[in-house]
Amino acid sequence: MLTVALPKGSLLKDSIRLFQSVGLDFSALLEPGNRLLQITDPTQTAKALLVRNSDVPVYVEYGQAQLGVVGYDVLREKTPQVAQLLDLGFGQCRLSVAVKQTSPYRTALELPLYGRVASKFVQCAREYFESLDLPVEIVPLYGSVELGPITGMSEAIVDLVATGTTLRENGLIETDVLFESTARLIAHPLSYRLNADQLTNWVEQLQAQVQLQAKG
Amino acid sequence: MVYQSPTGARDLLPLDVVQKRWIEERLQQVFHRWGYHRIITSTLERLDTLMAGGAIARSTVLQIQEADDDLGLRPELTASIARAAVTRMAGATFPLRLYYNANVFRRSHVNSPSGQQEYYQAGVELLGMGGTLADAEVLLLVVDCLASMGLQGASLLLGEAGLTRSLLSVFPEAIRENVRRAIAQLDRIALETLPLSAEVRDRALFLFELRGKPADVLQKVASLDLNAEQQTAVANLKSLVDVLEQQLASSNEPMFVPTVTLDLSLIQTINYYTGLVFEVVAPSSSGLAVVATGGRYDQLLGLYHPQGQSYPGIGFALQIEPLHQVLLDTGRLPQQTPVSDWLVVAESEQAYGAAIAYARTLRSAPHPVRVELDLGRRSPVEIQDYAQHRRIARIAWVKAAGDVVIESVNSP
Repeated sequence: MLTVALPKGSLLKDSIRLFQSVGLDFSALLEPGNRLLQITDPTQTAKALLVRNSDVPVYVEYGQAQLGVVGYDVLREKTPQVAQLLDLGFGQCRLSVAVKQTSPYRTALELPLYGRVASKFVQCAREYFESLDLPVEIVPLYGSVELGPITGMSEAIVDLVATGTTLRENGLIETDVLFESTARLIAHPLSYRLNADQLTNWVEQLQAQVQLQAKG
Repeated sequence: MVYQSPTGARDLLPLDVVQKRWIEERLQQVFHRWGYHRIITSTLERLDTLMAGGAIARSTVLQIQEADDDLGLRPELTASIARAAVTRMAGATFPLRLYYNANVFRRSHVNSPSGQQEYYQAGVELLGMGGTLADAEVLLLVVDCLASMGLQGASLLLGEAGLTRSLLSVFPEAIRENVRRAIAQLDRIALETLPLSAEVRDRALFLFELRGKPADVLQKVASLDLNAEQQTAVANLKSLVDVLEQQLASSNEPMFVPTVTLDLSLIQTINYYTGLVFEVVAPSSSGLAVVATGGRYDQLLGLYHPQGQSYPGIGFALQIEPLHQVLLDTGRLPQQTPVSDWLVVAESEQAYGAAIAYARTLRSAPHPVRVELDLGRRSPVEIQDYAQHRRIARIAWVKAAGDVVIESVNSP
């Protein structure tokens, strides 16, 4: 059976709406009090797995899910071996460098040599600072990255920015954008090549919906 | 202190070996039936030999420092066989039909979850002659291998590296490599965002989608404005697919026939394949697994020839570990190691000679018999328990005078 890996959190609603538009209804996952991690749609055509954003490409790479919805930021960070098929348009955000408002720095290039940068996106941050030829220490954190500069542990952070509210409220300002991100439709490469579970057909339908919404 | 095996190393215990041999013996019988001869090449090769084909990165080779030579453990067999074929076997009559069954080594990537570094492969190389029949032979041979193991539900994924490369040549050189990489990695979004004119982008997306039932794909390719060379490649591919599908349709064992998908986007980012490329994909409880890969390499042998003379070549490697996994799910592999037929027991120290002699007599039976010698120091009850536990069929109690009492323990 076709299995779709859906990300918990901010992308979930839009992901479910997208699959609803092609007749696969996983909205039971949105019901308050839902604790199921795996559901089948009412037509018994497809299954959905509810997993962490960063685990979506793992399930797809190993083929337990043939399709998945995941932010481009995760794809950049993890570089999984998956087929990247569609830019879904929603979940817009950017991966940015931010520093304390009160700090003297206004671009990443001004950061001190061997300064510290806290981030959940260790790979992306490392690549970025290597491309600037600026040796910094990347401090891996798993949440509340903004505390890095606030507590003085790090000079800067590399984190996702959607509206910028969190940064502002914590006295941080954005200095550089590493890249823009949106949600992507990914597929298990072998399943896609072999058209397992009529995958190509589903992808075409999803593509048509995405194009329709982009126009509308 | 505890001596541990190095990271990524695996020991194969007797049951693992019995199952592995079950697979390898079946493959070997198929290779023999098709007239292939086993070749054994060195586990160690010079690094430049391994890397000459351009498909092996230095970073994937486990390297060994020697005084004068940079050596590495082979990550695959084709380079070694190509080297041996053009140098050691110079003057041999073509075609050469060679097979191997060997371990290969790949440095595990930092991110690799298994960390495995040693693998086993069995495969063939058909050297010195090209053409549709050679391609068909190798494809039908790999299909026979699947049937010999009773592997059902497999898929055969075919591509044509030469044709795809040629179709990619319409793209401006500056971005061709990007297009190629995006197609190889199935990155459709990259194709859509590359700086391409609308017409060129449509062509790239057309290539990206070139997969499906062979007849449909061939029809789609034929709709392109092809040059003479490309037309020949398409015609050859069509006759290969025709031969293959005709043979598969008339198979005596239809349950083992794989479905065939033609995928002209099936290219690796770097490799030495020049024509047909293929993968065999099999279903397992943990998802789809690639159990064999192969292809045609008509330039590779020339790299090893002293005068640079090249010969056609085609081959494939079956990956034993994923095959083992897939076959475990089917329940076809042996579930236990072979049991002994006899346990020969000397009833007293004076009977040692008679017991050894009796065991020797049993072993000399025309059909193979497994005979264990009891090593003493156990009571008759303990011996019977042991025989029961090990499922040994019979105990021969030998007395000093040479008299033997036979006791049936487990019905064979």
